[in-house]
Amino acid sequence: MAPKSGRLYAKAVFTGFKRGLRNQHENTALLKVDGCAGQEDARRYIGKRCVYVYKAKNKTSVPNSKEKSQLRCIWGKVTRPPGNAGSVRAKFRRNLPPQAMGCRVRIMLYPSRI
Amino acid sequence: MAKNKNKGKPRNYALDSGVYRFSASKMFHKKAIHKFLKKTVAKKPADKKPVFVEKKIKGDKNGGTRMVRVKKLTNNVPTMDVKTCILHTKRKSVFSKHSRKLRPSLTPGVVAIILAGVHKGKRVVALKQLETGLLLITGPLKLNGCPLRRINQRYLLATKTSINVSGVKVPETINDKYFARVKSDNKVKKDGNIFENKKEDYKPSEQRKADRASVDKQVLEAIKKHPQGAALKSYFKAGFGLNKGEYPHKMIF
Repeated sequence: MAPKSGRLYAKAVFTGFKRGLRNQHENTALLKVDGCAGQEDARRYIGKRCVYVYKAKNKTSVPNSKEKSQLRCIWGKVTRPPGNAGSVRAKFRRNLPPQAMGCRVRIMLYPSRI
Repeated sequence: MAKNKNKGKPRNYALDSGVYRFSASKMFHKKAIHKFLKKTVAKKPADKKPVFVEKKIKGDKNGGTRMVRVKKLTNNVPTMDVKTCILHTKRKSVFSKHSRKLRPSLTPGVVAIILAGVHKGKRVVALKQLETGLLLITGPLKLNGCPLRRINQRYLLATKTSINVSGVKVPETINDKYFARVKSDNKVKKDGNIFENKKEDYKPSEQRKADRASVDKQVLEAIKKHPQGAALKSYFKAGFGLNKGEYPHKMIF
């Protein structure tokens, strides 16, 4: 049997919401992907699904599993690269909580285009 | 008769002011209507068209035939405009008629990495594309525990490695219906206690096992024949994972 697989997502950090200097738009999040510098690299991630995983105090049910877990997640999608510095814009099903700033967001490798 | 140079051109034409060039009397002469004045065509007796037509209808107790008007009455307006009806049916694109595309990197025999699902991270062999567009893949089971399975292209990362599977014959019976989920007979269980329905764990049928074994055997042979056969085997056994410093945007798979 194959050993437990390694990481199948790219690591990214939620740096903040899309914003001008004085106004912010919480429906779009800015993610800084590890190792990604420049728009060309960032373009590789467009369309990929991303998740913000976090823990909560109460246990909630997990789909396809009887056990309840404290892990929760918010799913989203990488929409486009803003600017030239290699970060990435993402829209989540529900807006990311501001507590998530500075926290890890996972960018999955699917839907794959390779 | 002199060849008519003006054949096909209109005899009369409008001037800039909108008035026509030739008057009615002139046209009379131009068109030589005096020749046709005395000709009369015998009036054909009008074909009497039936008002009603007898049409057959189905159903034993319906009397067999109905008298249907040939020309519908003006007040007979259908509930839905025929044109829009056809438009609607044309617009509906039925899933079975969708065009299936296959990514050029996912040819049969290519080694791909499964990105999601129970078998995520496993390297598998892509065999062929099924009618619904899903790809048929196999572990092979012995190497990484992935059976003959359908998977969506979007969840596969194609690598540049490929195995020559031209010799592998996938039985024709393996298609989408083969993989369709078996629905439990709820009707039968209605008689009994509904709440006693147990969710049965999925167990592969004997047919599945046999098919899987035969296909896997062929695939394993193809792997052996590959110049890097031995290395490939352990390649399959190992899972895929990103490590520190490995960035998908910088990787060529």
